[in-house]
Formats: sequence, structure tokens, C-alpha cells
Amino acid sequence: MSTTASGVEAAAKPEAPAGLARRIWHNYVLRRVLRSLFVIWVVTTAMFFMLRLLPGNPVDTFIAQQIRGGSTYESAAATAANLFTFDPETPLIQQYFDYLWALLHGDLGNSLDPGTTVMEQIAASLPWTIFSVGYALLIAIGLGLLLGLVMAYRRGGFLDHSISMVGSTLHAIPNYLFAIIVVVFGGVQLGLFNVSETRGTHTAGVEPGFNFTFIADAFYHASIPVTVYVLTTFGTWALVMKASTITTLEEDYVTVARARGLSGRRIGTQYVGRNAVLPMVAQIATQGGFVFGSAIFVELILKYDGVSAELYAAVNDRDYATVQGILLIMTIVIVFANLLAEIVNSMLDPRIRESESGAVG
Amino acid sequence: MPVLSVRDLRIGYRSGGRLVEAVRGVDFDLYPNEALALVGESGSGKSTLGLGLLRLLPRTGQITGGEVRYRAPGGDQVEATDYDVLSLEGTRLRRFRWSEAAMVFQGAMNAFNPVLRIGEQFADTMRAHAPEGRLGREDIRERAGDCLRSVRLEPGQVLGSYPHELSGGMRQRALIALAMVLEPRVLILDEPTTALDLLTQRAIVDMLQELRAERGFAMIFISHDLALASELADRVATMYAGRIIESGTADDLFREPRHPYTAGLIGAVPTVHGGALEPVSIPGAPPDLARLPAGCSFASRCSYAVDECRTTDPGLLMVTDRPAGETSHEAACLRWEAVRMPAMALQDEEAGK
Repeated sequence: MSTTASGVEAAAKPEAPAGLARRIWHNYVLRRVLRSLFVIWVVTTAMFFMLRLLPGNPVDTFIAQQIRGGSTYESAAATAANLFTFDPETPLIQQYFDYLWALLHGDLGNSLDPGTTVMEQIAASLPWTIFSVGYALLIAIGLGLLLGLVMAYRRGGFLDHSISMVGSTLHAIPNYLFAIIVVVFGGVQLGLFNVSETRGTHTAGVEPGFNFTFIADAFYHASIPVTVYVLTTFGTWALVMKASTITTLEEDYVTVARARGLSGRRIGTQYVGRNAVLPMVAQIATQGGFVFGSAIFVELILKYDGVSAELYAAVNDRDYATVQGILLIMTIVIVFANLLAEIVNSMLDPRIRESESGAVG
Repeated sequence: MPVLSVRDLRIGYRSGGRLVEAVRGVDFDLYPNEALALVGESGSGKSTLGLGLLRLLPRTGQITGGEVRYRAPGGDQVEATDYDVLSLEGTRLRRFRWSEAAMVFQGAMNAFNPVLRIGEQFADTMRAHAPEGRLGREDIRERAGDCLRSVRLEPGQVLGSYPHELSGGMRQRALIALAMVLEPRVLILDEPTTALDLLTQRAIVDMLQELRAERGFAMIFISHDLALASELADRVATMYAGRIIESGTADDLFREPRHPYTAGLIGAVPTVHGGALEPVSIPGAPPDLARLPAGCSFASRCSYAVDECRTTDPGLLMVTDRPAGETSHEAACLRWEAVRMPAMALQDEEAGK
């Protein structure tokens, strides 16, 4: 899609005075950044209108709730006016631009939780999710790639069969179910770890900061969700990497590299490993987004106070501003994870850079 | 003294629990500065033989017997070498590859790692063979530049390029340059020009001739194109069903083939020079290596075959015996005296009318 779009662009303005725009378009990274921003804008807009189109706007719902709770209509309406930054009387399109304008200033509106903004809530919870999921992905992908490589080199062997079996079995178990299994069997029945101690993101009383006690505590609390994420995903990475490595091993340049008398390690890393990883980068980005999205159940079950727990609470409370804010931030995180994957891919594979910038211009 | 002596080399592939021999006892000697061509259809075992010489067979392949003796004379500081390549292991095998015998492959388009610059691939090859694994940047640049210039490439441009930035012909030249960077005594070329257009093919063949004259390596040229092979090689051997079935000088095989298969090959390949021969294909297909017939394996496709051919495999028979040091003409055919090239047979017919 992108190539045709740029082709049209180039054809429409053969000697465009807008040389800068063309140069930006032909810059691999800049173009990806622009596209990411566009995706975020589309999601933001869709989310805004979808929430507004839902039957019963949040203000009415809130007022009705307050009245049920015993307050008068007037006081309820006054509270609502304070809480919600938008006025249902203004036209929708005006609301939309106000929302975008506030968004550009980092203002996501107020939470129903009195006195806190949505931004504050997200800032308190999102880092924990990014930390635990990111850390788990790093381990799972690293482990998976390594195991996949070894499995491909020793295919048909004991290691190959056992990892294939364990990996695909664990992969077939949904991670929320696996989290329950870990808590019930690992924590309660076998007593491998202390369930109540590892709850939460860190022990109450430990001051967040850059010191050993806090970091060690954070890792300790993250260890259970991380274990769940790693065990349910590494098998997939290993199997995909194995398939990719087997294809790469049959490439001519690997035979030529052996003929050249290169050391096994050099061939394994720079010739086989590096080329085998290439097709996986895109997959890592999408799967990473999936793990991030499905973290909600795992965090709830393990009582890990990340952004998912926050989202769950917001949905229950009909806290639309917070729901919208969290979904938006999650979108941004996933879009940027994809952007990062594409940039990494272009750094690993020179052909991607060339084919898009050089050939089209 | 030959630089490479191959004796009764046998190579098989495991397939469905059994071993199918693709090379069934090949003997030849390769002398310094000599160019030997191995010619045959696909499936004749010629590429397997090439890979086997460097011990580069795929996982299913296995050398089941024979000897590949490599000899290099000693110098002032170097000891004379004389060993069986099939007995090498580990680092010794790794160092034998490319520094003693290099190989230029068929899949030229894909011979370089796509994610490394050509310069890096020269550097890692040279470092892998440097005595201490250490080699200065300048040294690498200079030696790589030398080799690239000798294949008429501009080092400044090529070394900094990624493989996909070069044309097919340039990549093949770069690979030939890379093959010479360690000054091997044997260069194996497996269909080095197959994927290239005719003009580029021509340029590469001319260049190989020059390089051999200049640098004096022995060359094994593997091809299905007998015309091309006879142009480049001093000595030509035809392979069929895993064996050498005829060998002699390029002239012997090209002008007076004495095995019906060689004669058929000439007929089947439209030549660039030598007039407009009507291409005649060889009827039938190569035999199933897993179920070879008794007697001559070509008999079922051969118009000369007599009953004896189906029971006896004659082995190489002397056609023209020449004094030591020169190449004799041998053919594995009971009826070699009767064999005529298709075009010659045609002329005979016309003369008969």
C-alpha cells in the first residue's frame, strides 16, 4: 500500500516545489513516524465518536447514578459539570476539536475518582504493565529465539521434540487460565511462592526510587505475571524461529559461508541467526501487542495493579474519560512498538531501506 | 604430481531409511594449473561430487567411501602437505576449505549474505583463515581490492555495497574475487554462469581463463554445457548416473565422442559456434539411482545398445592411449568404435543416399 501511495505521489508531482515533503516521504523512519501518528489519530477519532454514540451519555448516566444515590438533580448536575470537561449542549464537532486540543496538551480529562485526572491514573498504573509485559517479552523472545535456533540445528533430536511438545502445550493454554493454575497449584498447593506477599506491584512502604531495595522488590512482585507471560509465549517463538532457521539453513549463502571456512559461531549468528530473525520481527510486534492487550486478565487474577486493573475498574464504574484515556494510551504504546519493530527491521535488513526509498524515487 | 587425487569416491543420500548412491566410484587426478570439466545432466552426480570434495554435503548426504588426497609441495617456510581430505575434522577441515580449495556456486544470486556488506564478507573470510585470527583493516582492504580489480570490479564501490545493490554479473565476479582472496590451489566452479545472460557468461568465461593463466590455480569446472566446458577446460569428463563414463581432451570429447551419451549431449546443446546443429534430445530419462539396472546404466536410452550391454558394465575402456603426462581418451562403452555424433550420423546417411 505504501509503495503505491508514494508512487502516486511521485507521479503527481514530478518536479514538485514541495521538495521537503518528498524528502520526508522518502525517508524510511520519518514516513513510518507519520504513518504511526496517522493511525493514532484515526483511533482517537473513532474512539471519541463511538463513545459519544453509545446510548446514554456519561453525564446523564452519572447524574442518574447520583440521584439514585440520594442527591438532588441540581447538586448532581453541578458535580457532573465539575467532573466532566465537556458540556453535552455544545455541538459534537466542537466537542471533538476541544478534545483533540486538550489531548495535544496532554490533558485526557478528569477521572470520576474525585480529584484525579485520567493522566495521573494512567501514569500511576501504566509503567507497571509496560515493565512486566516488556520484561516478559524480552525473556520470552530471547529464550524462544535461542531455543528455536538450537532446535533447528539439532532437528529431530531429543531437545527438539521435548521443546516442541512443552512449548505447544503451554501455548495452547490461555494465559489467564495458566495464571489461575500457577496461583492454585504453584502458590497454594505446592507453596512454591507466597501468594499474598507477591500481590501488588511493590510492597507497601517501599519507596519507589532508583535504589536496590525498590528494584529488587519490583522484580519480586513482577516475577509471577512475568513467569505466566513467558511460559505461555516462549514456545511459539521457539517454533516459529525453528521454522525460520530451517529455511535459512538451506540458503546458498549459508553453504557458501561454510565453504569459506568461517567459524561455526560466526555462521550461526551473522549468517543464520540474523537472517532467520528478519521475518520474525513483524510478528514480534503484533504478538507483543497481543500479550499487552491480554494482560488484563492476568493482572486481575494475580492482583497486579497495572493499567489493566485500572481499565477494569474504570469500565465497572462507567468512567468513560478513563476508559477512553487508557485505550488511547494502549493504542499509542502498541503503535509505537510496531514502529520500533519496523525501525529495527530496517536496521537489520538493508534491502528494506533501499527498496522503499531508492527504487520508488 | 596431482594436486588432487580422487579415488573410488562414493557419496550417498539417505532417503526413506536407505542410502542411495549419487556418486558411485569416481576416479580422477587434477594437476596444478589444469582445468578439468565435469559435464552431465542434472542428477548425474556432478554437483554432489563438487560438494563432496569440500565436504559440504547437505544433512542427508554422506561420503561412503574412497579417498580425496590433497597435495601441496613445500616451500622455504611451508611444509609439504599430503593428506586425505576425507579424514580432516574441525579446524583443519575449516582451514582446508577456501584457503586450499575454494568453490564458486551455482546460485550466484544468493551466494552472499544479504545483510552484510561485501567488504565485511571479504573481511570475515580472511579473518577466519588468519593465523591468529587477527588481520589489519588495511591489509584486508588491499588484498580484497587486488582480487576485485583482477575481476574488473571497482573495489571502492563494491566493498561498501550490499549484495542486492550489485547486478547478477557483478555478484558472480565478486564471488570469484572472494574465491581467490586466499590464493587457493584448487578452484571448483559449479555452473558458475548458468543464471547469467549470454554476454555476461562470455565475459566471465574469458575472465576465468585470464585468471588461471595469471594466478595458476587448478580448476574443476562443473557444467551441463559441453561446448562451454570444452572451451574452458584442458580435460573433459562426462558423468552419467554417478560415474565418469568418458574422459579425454576437450577436442576428443567434442569432436569425436566415443560414448553415446557424450555424443547425445553434444547433440542436445545448441552451440554458440560450430554452426547450426539441429538439437537432438536424448530419449528417456536418467535412471533411478535407487534401482540401477545391471550392466551399462545408459543402455535403456541407447540406440547402440546390444544384449551384452544389459549384462556387462565395461568400465572405462582405452580409446586413444597417449604417453604419460598427456591425457588419454577413455570411454565406458562396449561399442565405442561404432559411436558417431548425431550430426556425423546424419552426414553418413546423406552420403549413403
